[in-house]
Amino acid sequence: MKLKAIVLAMMTLSALTLAGCGSDGDKGDTGATGPAGSDGSNGQNGTDGRDYTAANEWFMAGQATVANASKNSISDPAGKAKNIILFVGDGMGISTLTAARIYQGQQQGNSGEENRLSFETFPYSGLVKTYSANQQTPDSAPTMTAIVTGVKTKDGIISVSDDAVRDECSTSAGHEVMTALELAEIAGMSTGIISTARLTHATPAATYSHAVERNWESDKEMSQAALNAGCKDIASQLIDFPYGDGPEVAMGGGRTYFMPNTATDPEYGSAGRRNDGRDLTAEWTSKYSDGAYVWNRAQFMSVDTSSVKHLLGLFENSHMQYEADRVDGDGAGEPSLAEMTSRALEMLKQNDKGYFLMVEGGRIDHAHHAGNAARALEDTVALSDAVRVAMEKADKDTLILVTADHSHVFTIAGYPVRGNPILGLVRGVNESGEPATTYSTDSNGMPYTTLGYANGPGFGFGNDPVNTDNYRPDLNLYNVTDVDYRQEATVPLGSETHAGEDVAVYATGPGAQLVTGSVEQNMLFHVMNYAANLVGRAEAAQTQN
Amino acid sequence: MKLLPMLLLLLPTAASAVDFCPNSMPTQNWGIQYQLSGAHQGTLLLLRQQAQTAFYNPQNQVAEWWRFDNPQHPQFSRVFGEAKRRIDYYMGDLRTLGVQVSQAEIESFAANHLRQALTKVPQSDCAEAEAYEGDYHQVHYRMLWSTALQLPLTLETTVQGKVSRWQAQQFVNSADVTGHFQQWQAYKRTDFADVGDNEQDPFLAKMINQGFVEHSEHAAYDSRGNPLGNHSH
Repeated sequence: MKLKAIVLAMMTLSALTLAGCGSDGDKGDTGATGPAGSDGSNGQNGTDGRDYTAANEWFMAGQATVANASKNSISDPAGKAKNIILFVGDGMGISTLTAARIYQGQQQGNSGEENRLSFETFPYSGLVKTYSANQQTPDSAPTMTAIVTGVKTKDGIISVSDDAVRDECSTSAGHEVMTALELAEIAGMSTGIISTARLTHATPAATYSHAVERNWESDKEMSQAALNAGCKDIASQLIDFPYGDGPEVAMGGGRTYFMPNTATDPEYGSAGRRNDGRDLTAEWTSKYSDGAYVWNRAQFMSVDTSSVKHLLGLFENSHMQYEADRVDGDGAGEPSLAEMTSRALEMLKQNDKGYFLMVEGGRIDHAHHAGNAARALEDTVALSDAVRVAMEKADKDTLILVTADHSHVFTIAGYPVRGNPILGLVRGVNESGEPATTYSTDSNGMPYTTLGYANGPGFGFGNDPVNTDNYRPDLNLYNVTDVDYRQEATVPLGSETHAGEDVAVYATGPGAQLVTGSVEQNMLFHVMNYAANLVGRAEAAQTQN
Repeated sequence: MKLLPMLLLLLPTAASAVDFCPNSMPTQNWGIQYQLSGAHQGTLLLLRQQAQTAFYNPQNQVAEWWRFDNPQHPQFSRVFGEAKRRIDYYMGDLRTLGVQVSQAEIESFAANHLRQALTKVPQSDCAEAEAYEGDYHQVHYRMLWSTALQLPLTLETTVQGKVSRWQAQQFVNSADVTGHFQQWQAYKRTDFADVGDNEQDPFLAKMINQGFVEHSEHAAYDSRGNPLGNHSH
């Protein structure tokens, strides 16, 4: 009884103190009650005025988090989620999340470390083991297959089980595995696929196609033997999608993979890729009487979502622009990931039976491969913005998952002081814990950046200024915070590689409580299936038909 | 540290009279054959077809191919003739590699800016040409500039006492130029952004290990006057 009384007193004290925490300008240090700050659970960045330099506020923030978590004794029944939105940051490892959160916070004029990406406010998260059926470190094909089918497969294979052999068409038949998007279509739900990569790239492709070779993006990329054996290219599988009434939304890059080689790209003047003469964009609008095809931002913005029920958007002939280059790098203009997500939800929400939407930030991976951290972080923030849109637009009966397919060998190094520019040179603290007056240096007295790569093209810097004592570039001579700056790499490779460590998954909505601990990547499909009862709804729809 | 290739002989003499002195620009597709003289013997072809410009080394069949159909969004490919493959770079890719693209520089053998930086001097080697000389970024240049072609006929660089020289020798005929571009168009292409996801591809794996994608240079020679065109690693 006495213990209970003490706990009660502490709770009361905490409640009173918390009530005194308001905005920056009203911290309640006089005891006056300030306006309540946002807790960030709405996807905002928690800019609620907490003074994290005050030790008691660290304590109380942690206490409040635990208090909120203690309310999460949820056990949602199967099928409680009407809708599912799956966000995938391609190559968005945990170090990328940390750096992107700091980057975004610093862009907003804050120290950065305390910032939260939109999905970092979700109540549930876990670690995901990404290895594929045959590789310790995977590519996007088997990892996305695991996420959307519940089955791990081999590298390079898209939504076909590991019974198949890569690039051997004959091994595919009978081993295709049903995807969450296909189940949703069978169930009568609306579906959408969005990516800043090509729509035919491995991650988006895994939602709607089946191929034993991820590079079969158009028939031009297929061998004659594969074509003769009856395998279909990925772009054609999107247009010939056999389930339900077909995807309602498909937006991304990869226009030339849908165009015959006799056609000319409207933006670049280059030829289409298809050898079979099919114009898949025309076929889309022929197949769907309520369909539309757009290829630039102006057309996209003018789409009437009350009348257009099947929207195909192909905004680049290959991948869409990096977010850092989107505004000035694309003459025809292209929408942001957040804009595409918003428009897609406007369309998908019109179906009373619910929807399944997959959104990929596809170019985080590419920027990392190029050893260019700034663009990777910009694209990660763009994904966070898209998630925020979904959090605001989606109804409460929507399960939202945010995860990555795999990681990259991207590191956050040194002992930089709080608020040190995340793209900058490491500046530590002095003996008193105050910011040092000079940069931290390596064994040869040379400064180094916080961000770097274990391998990749950033090794050596070609013929540019190098300290000949240790063959590291003299970073005093570089603008390391420039968006085009390429971080140093330890091992010389022309292209930086994926990494094999776990990635994170964040969840909110019905069934989100299942996302916890360390899980196999294919478990994420089963979470979605449990939450929305995809198989059950698909079977029921088939029975009705 | 990567060392850029040196294709030129270290020549002790200054530029001499030229045999190749065109008085007009060809009306169709055309090209110029440059002789790379020195310890590394060889040739480099500059090929032009409308908005396309390519630098092609016939010895190793490697080409750097630029298309400026949309000048604000140029496209670049590195072509590997022996493998019949090419790597396509889009604007964002070029930016990640730190490449600052200038159509004028590409089409002028990277000499357009030099004309602004150097001093015009008298010459009598070629009626349709102008001579320039001077120092730029610690490199001493001597250039004979064809006013008809808007290209150098000779370009001599001196870096720390070492002299190198490019010499235009003859036109490449129109059919050969067209043939090269058509051939490259048909090669299997891979986006630079996709290279990292295709390490199982033997060609790409080899290229990744050789570091083919790491160069940010985009012209015939680098900012220090070191000639490019035959990337060895």
